[in-house]
Amino acid sequence: MITLSNITKSFNRSNVVNNLSLEIAKGEIFGLLGPNAAGKTTTIRILCGLLKPSSGEASIGGIALSDNSDALKHKIGYVAQYFGLYDELSVMENLRFYASLYERTDEKTLLGLLKRYKIFEYKDAKAGSLSGGYKRRLSLCCALCHQPEVLFLDEPTAGIDPSTRKELWDIFYELSQEGKTLFVTTHYMEEAQRCNKIAFLNKGVVVAEGSPTEVENSLEAYDVYKLTQEFKYELLEVLRTDDLVHLVNQFGDELRIIVKKECSKEWLGGLIAPYTQGDVSLESTRANLEDVFIALTQEVVA
Amino acid sequence: MSVIGAVAKKEFMQLKSEPRLIGFLIFMPIMMLVLFGYALRLEPKDVNMAYVDEDKSYFSSLIKTNLWSDGYFKLYKVDSKKQIIEEIRSGRAHAGMFIQKDFSKELTDNEQPHVQFFVDGTMPSLATSMKNNSSAIDDKDVTSDMYFLGEDADNVVIADAPFVVDTEVLFNEDELETWFFLPAVIGVLIMQIALVLAGISLVREKENNTLEQLLVAPISKTQLIIAKILPYTLIGLFEFYFILALGYFIFDLPLPASAYFSLILLSIVYVGAMIALGLFISVISQTQQQAMFIAIFIIIPSVLLSGMIFPVEAMPEFIRPIAYILPLTYFNEIIRGVLIKETLFMDLSIDYLALAGFALFFSVASILKFKRYVA
Repeated sequence: MITLSNITKSFNRSNVVNNLSLEIAKGEIFGLLGPNAAGKTTTIRILCGLLKPSSGEASIGGIALSDNSDALKHKIGYVAQYFGLYDELSVMENLRFYASLYERTDEKTLLGLLKRYKIFEYKDAKAGSLSGGYKRRLSLCCALCHQPEVLFLDEPTAGIDPSTRKELWDIFYELSQEGKTLFVTTHYMEEAQRCNKIAFLNKGVVVAEGSPTEVENSLEAYDVYKLTQEFKYELLEVLRTDDLVHLVNQFGDELRIIVKKECSKEWLGGLIAPYTQGDVSLESTRANLEDVFIALTQEVVA
Repeated sequence: MSVIGAVAKKEFMQLKSEPRLIGFLIFMPIMMLVLFGYALRLEPKDVNMAYVDEDKSYFSSLIKTNLWSDGYFKLYKVDSKKQIIEEIRSGRAHAGMFIQKDFSKELTDNEQPHVQFFVDGTMPSLATSMKNNSSAIDDKDVTSDMYFLGEDADNVVIADAPFVVDTEVLFNEDELETWFFLPAVIGVLIMQIALVLAGISLVREKENNTLEQLLVAPISKTQLIIAKILPYTLIGLFEFYFILALGYFIFDLPLPASAYFSLILLSIVYVGAMIALGLFISVISQTQQQAMFIAIFIIIPSVLLSGMIFPVEAMPEFIRPIAYILPLTYFNEIIRGVLIKETLFMDLSIDYLALAGFALFFSVASILKFKRYVA
């Protein structure tokens, strides 16, 4: 449904997106992950026609981006990170306005949208008076009013409480069930887990791609251990400076240690022992997405 | 105290990131000083004067030469007294002079002949200063040459004032300042409303992130600009007639039937030019604050240099070109002409064309500039 081949975008001679190629199938929820300034928003804006790529080609539903045709614009919906709503207009007036740009002004359909996304009761409220969660719902309604085949969502759940975030994801699944293709950027790892397919973007380059499980397996060359007991702070420095230790990731009460294969559990236990009290409780575990995320981000930085 | 210092420092850092603002802070006062210091002299110079010299004598030539060399007037010849009035009505001249046939005869007969002087009353400040400066034609330099002291000629005894100057104020005979200012005030008000409304319109969409959503929708940038021009033009037109009506009912501004067609045309080209200019400001600005600054930057010189308060003829030569790149200059010329002098449409066609040109230029410039805009 969405194809990017060798897309590069440079600003002031530095490549923000570098030779990006992606293939996203119809009905998929695709997650583009990466740290801040990785090029996620730039990629989405290129796909929405707001930026021209410096080189490369992309198409959506078989229509080349370079055509910049109205047909293409009817196919896509875009929920920007800061979706522009007219604060002084009511919820319904905002929706009606955006719908009129696509000549889809059937009042019944629009009211149906508001009901479906549970914002109907606020239809006469000014958009400026809505809470963050409801603004997001209204943005979604506005982006969906013309029944687009592809929906671009730039950090759709940033700054949203967990229960609303879950509701939004339920909506995304529903939309995907209906055959819509969703292109989501996020840096929440638990959201990445919910995608059918993800790609890690760092400094404008894709550093890992596949299903969440496939991406987790990309750390296969390493062993992952977790330490679940109290330790002295100096341990972190000791581990980080050891050649056999690839990455140390503190995750709540856990200390996740990613080490090279030649590093045995016994050797690692011996290294840790002076910094803990009692027996070392070191467990072998699987890499999670956050481990991969941090590992990949560090690699490119190094 | 340290928190105040911290915030104050932050303000300066923000200002530093706005080079245009710094430009305004430095350029504005320089410009204002130059304008007030040099441009705004109330002494007219090079005012066009249509004259008829029926006498065609040494004496009448003496008057013309002295007027010319004084620098206040630029003289050109027309055929009749009626034509002098027509020249002033059309705006080609703001002054006129009629020297009758028997001027030199009466002068030599010591009968104190009359020289007729005409002044355009729609520009009261010009009229006033011209009345004062009309002394230029009968000051000592001129009159001293009018004594015959030649060997062959008899000494002619001439009174202290060898001739009399009659000054006639044409149009707006009472030199009502309101009639002079009010039509121009309409132009300034429309300008303010248009530049503020249209100036903010697009930049507000940028600031609120709604522009991105619009650009994702199937509406082209050209369509968007046109969609912005139309509503504000309607508001501007409403304002134009509203203010005109206020002027008519409250200040007895004349509204001759001959002006109706001209006023309709004027309202369209002028409001169009102002809205297009406002939109252009909006396209080139990044923030609403910037847009406001640019608007003020245009409004103030317009008030000072458009002939609204000070006649363009009274400005030094190097400032005058600025007057002619200001739409308000053409607006003033037209509206004072049609309301007070009942100037014919044809005589003002250049001014209408100039305003239409501004409207077209800024519309096209806005579209072209906006097309290159990437959100």
